[in-house]
Amino acid sequence: MTTLRIWKHFPREDLYECYQCARCTGSCPAMEVAPAIGPRETILKCLNLGHQDVVEDERLWLCCTCNVCEDRCPQKIPISDLLVALRNSAARRGNIPARLVLAVELLAKTGRSMIVHQLDEMRAHHGLAPLPPAPIEEIRELLSKTGFREVIEF
Amino acid sequence: MKYALYLGCAIPIKYPGFEATTRLVCERLGIELVDLPFACCPPGTSMKMVHYDSWLVLAARNLCVAEEAGLDVLTLCSGCVNTLKEANTILKKQDARRRKVNRVLEDHGRHFAGTIEVTHILDVLYQDAVVEKIVRKMEREVPLRVGCHYGCHYFRPPKYMYPEELSPSESYVPVKMDHLLSIIGVEPTEYSRKFLCCGSPLGANMDQDAGYAITRQKLGHIHDRNIQALSVICPSCFEQFDMGQVVLSRKFKDNRKVPVFYLTQLIGLALGMKYRELGLDVHRVKSRKLLEEIGMA
Repeated sequence: MTTLRIWKHFPREDLYECYQCARCTGSCPAMEVAPAIGPRETILKCLNLGHQDVVEDERLWLCCTCNVCEDRCPQKIPISDLLVALRNSAARRGNIPARLVLAVELLAKTGRSMIVHQLDEMRAHHGLAPLPPAPIEEIRELLSKTGFREVIEF
Repeated sequence: MKYALYLGCAIPIKYPGFEATTRLVCERLGIELVDLPFACCPPGTSMKMVHYDSWLVLAARNLCVAEEAGLDVLTLCSGCVNTLKEANTILKKQDARRRKVNRVLEDHGRHFAGTIEVTHILDVLYQDAVVEKIVRKMEREVPLRVGCHYGCHYFRPPKYMYPEELSPSESYVPVKMDHLLSIIGVEPTEYSRKFLCCGSPLGANMDQDAGYAITRQKLGHIHDRNIQALSVICPSCFEQFDMGQVVLSRKFKDNRKVPVFYLTQLIGLALGMKYRELGLDVHRVKSRKLLEEIGMA
């Protein structure tokens, strides 16, 4: 169950390009307001301890996904790809924020990422027709085939 | 000029006023929009972080729907454009991933071929032919000091979003919204941290207070420059600033407020459209007083 497939999605050699300048972490908006790990330390931990330590840490999720870390990296390390790979690995181990579970469950159950409430009236207020139903059958079948159930029940 | 209109989730469900305005503005500017049976993009901030393969397959399904109609995709949201543009690039370039995705899609009679492009309403309005039409059809100027907020996912990571327009340091700094608004008489105003996050994804996934702390920092820099209004091109950024100001003003007893507009609402004002027609009546931070000051309400 805990097979780690992270290096399939991220070229591990790229980590060695990092010289720990911390331009990423210095730019990170989440670091300023929350006890995040930050990209610099994430990379260092992956190098020194292996990523096991990182994927079990819930602070891994304190991130805006704004990708400014990668944008400003002088070594052009694809940090956004690393963070996706690490979080996918964390999610497979059950390390996933409760709010995020609710969000992806909603998506898998309804085919939308927003709760629909009094929608027809609201759309009519703006002169719009009702929204056609989401192709939920097809979405659910596709998600059954991609292995989404290995991570989230729906 | 014809596109498949990709509405996404937040706009038609939470902010249908943006949809209504955008449809009207496009009609006036001769941009034909076609509705197709799309589904959730799905967001790079949620599905992609949890299960990449599912994210890629659901995105590919949307791209297939547009391919079947032979139309390029027009998105209205920084998140949707991020997912669909990135997935489109990856599936066009990476043979192994495309084969894998097509094996899943083929059971549903779909096949990703890589025949269309994905674009955003800002990039569509910025085209020469459309700008000429705006200039011709404009009924009045909109003389406001406006701060533009692009939304990170509209342009980052630039290797997927604007690979043809990278700077020598392989970065990309967006300017199109500032340029476009200056055409309708807006005074685009720079402010500190203009290109950083609004705080929305951190709030949505993890910690609402931390997300709003980022919003508060940005709003501070916006007030420092005496900016009268914000222009955004993403419903999540809009909510973060519009709802965020209501929450933050209660919490910190700060009454300064700056109305937030979706880009096409400002273009609509210049084209002579009215307050309610533009859906401005449902915004939490009201803009009526500001618009009255410049004789436009």
